[in-house]
Amino acid sequence: MSTSNHNMNPLSKWISIAKDIISIYRNEFKVVFSDRGVVIIFIIASLVYPALYCGLYRNETLVNTPIAVVDNSATAQSRKLLRYIDASPDVQIALRCTSMDEAHKAFDNRKVHGIVNIPADFDKKIQKNEQATVSIYCDMSSFLYYRALMQASNYSILDMGKEIQLKRLNAQGITGQSAEATLEPVPFKGIGLYNGGMGFASFLMPAILILIIHQTLFFGISMLAGTSREENRFHVLVSSKLHRGGTFRVIIGKALCYLSMYLIFSYYILILVPKLFNLPHIGLSMDIFQMLIPFLLATIFFSMAISVFFPNRETSMIIFLFFSLILLFLSGFSWPQSNINVFWKTFSWMFPAVHGIQAYIKINTLGGTLHTIRFEYLSLWIQTCIYLIITAIVYRWQIKRSQ
Amino acid sequence: MFQSLISAITNTIGRELRRMVSRPIYLIGTVLVMAFCFVFFLTFFSEGQPNKMPIAIVDKDNSSLSRQFARNLDCTQQSEIVMKLGTHTEARREMQKGNIYAFVEIDKGFAQKVMTNQRPTLKIYVNNGYLIAGSLLLKDISYMSALTSGAVQRQVLRARGVDESRIMGIIQPIVIDTHQIGNPWANYGIYLLNVLLPGVLQLMILLMTVFAIGSEFKERTAHQWLENAENSIFAAVTGKLLPYTIIFSTLGIISNILLYRYMQYPMNSSIGWMFITTILYVMAYQAIAILFMGITPVLRDSVTLTAFYGLLGFTYAGFTFPIEQLPYMSRIFSDLFPIRHYFNIYVNQALHGTSIQMSIIPLISLLAFNILPLFVYHRLKNAAIHQNYPVN
Repeated sequence: MSTSNHNMNPLSKWISIAKDIISIYRNEFKVVFSDRGVVIIFIIASLVYPALYCGLYRNETLVNTPIAVVDNSATAQSRKLLRYIDASPDVQIALRCTSMDEAHKAFDNRKVHGIVNIPADFDKKIQKNEQATVSIYCDMSSFLYYRALMQASNYSILDMGKEIQLKRLNAQGITGQSAEATLEPVPFKGIGLYNGGMGFASFLMPAILILIIHQTLFFGISMLAGTSREENRFHVLVSSKLHRGGTFRVIIGKALCYLSMYLIFSYYILILVPKLFNLPHIGLSMDIFQMLIPFLLATIFFSMAISVFFPNRETSMIIFLFFSLILLFLSGFSWPQSNINVFWKTFSWMFPAVHGIQAYIKINTLGGTLHTIRFEYLSLWIQTCIYLIITAIVYRWQIKRSQ
Repeated sequence: MFQSLISAITNTIGRELRRMVSRPIYLIGTVLVMAFCFVFFLTFFSEGQPNKMPIAIVDKDNSSLSRQFARNLDCTQQSEIVMKLGTHTEARREMQKGNIYAFVEIDKGFAQKVMTNQRPTLKIYVNNGYLIAGSLLLKDISYMSALTSGAVQRQVLRARGVDESRIMGIIQPIVIDTHQIGNPWANYGIYLLNVLLPGVLQLMILLMTVFAIGSEFKERTAHQWLENAENSIFAAVTGKLLPYTIIFSTLGIISNILLYRYMQYPMNSSIGWMFITTILYVMAYQAIAILFMGITPVLRDSVTLTAFYGLLGFTYAGFTFPIEQLPYMSRIFSDLFPIRHYFNIYVNQALHGTSIQMSIIPLISLLAFNILPLFVYHRLKNAAIHQNYPVN
């Protein structure tokens, strides 16, 4: 402890700490805004990326995926089935072929993304009260093609099947309500919650939005640290105040600068963008704001702790850009968290983005409250504490080293 | 003339190799990142499809029939009942917490209604906020309930004395015979990794190429770089990038071997075509990185630019969300991404197993990217001579 601090009374000591923090806070703003590269990452990227990706995925789902049909039966029954399939919103019959070869050629040319093949005995089997078969061939290059054709053919065949069933039951002397009950003794109703249209953007974008905040903060902060390391002015900021607690003032001052900027950006990214682009937004803004504080703090301290190790301003982006993808999968928004193996799950708990994505989806998309995300909320605060301590240690080490 | 060009190139290669061993970023940005991704993605999706996802049952009936149904449900491949809950609200809360991805609600009087032909509805709630879990579970549970329905139907028909040979025709008049071309297991690894691994590869090619050239400008050694190549910018760029062409092509081919041989992912024509595609793909991305470097010979700007372009590649490959569903104006850009052409070749050759003629246009497109550096030939040379761009 330096001698000057001994003589201060507690109040004036606190005032001097606050003054230090404010001056570091102000200075950090100047540093951020005088660096074009950092401005691009912090401001332009945070503004442009959410809008760009929402724009690209705005169609949400596939409609009228072109398919080919081969109708070897060419009867009233087979034409009826094809009309049902064509009428579904998912697919559209783009090509009527006379042979499987012809359909296969169109499939290989990727003019159609599926084939429905009705065999010659289709009508005969229906008339004879046997089971008729319909073959479908799905393009697996994108699972959305697969889903479109499966949905369209399943529902159409189910509908037509019911008509046939009813006739056959009648023929067996089962009629009226009793036929209906036999037809479907336990009707089931599938209800998709929170993303009724099974939209792709509604599913993907909430995760991307949090990832944008996490990654722009990380790259921006590490670019700032890399630059100060290049210019060897790391110690300049602190040297005059290197008494006990000096490092903390620097860390807190800088963190507050990033926090205050990102509170504003986050309002745009997490609250305005979902409304503007009609993504799910059934959570309360207040709950989002409350989870945002620990998420931003954890991300800031995480970035500051790691940033110290980057020797140059570009290094972090070159080495860790690919990690955005890893974080996206680790977050468990697509491949469910319950099925991530123990090793990767434990690994994923290191990153604020993972808890941030889960917390945001649970509030914004699923309409949860702070109570719902208790695990994520606590984890983010624990991360905040741990990364703050690590930042303090590595900053101190860095400052000592550069002297 | 030719001899001097060769010696200029070999000089540059030697110089670049010395630079590469001088700093760890060269090893990290090439081999280590790709090695990490190989391990990560291959272990992450090893299950193929998410199995035994947690679901709940809200059984208000608690009859032998509803318990039988729950047992059947528990035996399906993709769901596992982890909770038995009393109310709908409780189940919805668990769903919001992410503890379950679906729940089945069975109302009171279910069994009695089935017995008396009153057709009680079975309600299946799935969480489509997590779309993959939600849609897989809906399929799984619907299938299970159709089977349950079928079993009840069979009993009723037998009781009514319907001839056994006619029963299946009544229960299921039309059968679907599904062929999932190239990926009969609907395996997520096959679907994603074939594009994600080349996707990471293109990110690293772009960034490392830009770094290799850009660091010369930043450190003000570009002049020396050019002199060492006997003032031929062609030799300077070729010699500098050739080591990376070899490293990244090797990494790309290793990734092909891992996917198509080690993991036994579908490869319905010769794996050789994918090797050739991979080499062309590496060169195409190097050419694009040279173009970016020529447009802005400032390292930090070209890193930001290539990062932006490289990330967009994942969208424009069009594998998760097909290109034709993108807004019209943005769709036209897809041809500007080599990863799009790579994807087309992979679908043709590996997944669909068509003849190579189908892939000639994308192969030529990949090759055509190599023209791009010509546009910045003079600009890059002038920048190297004058070194008149800001460093930071």
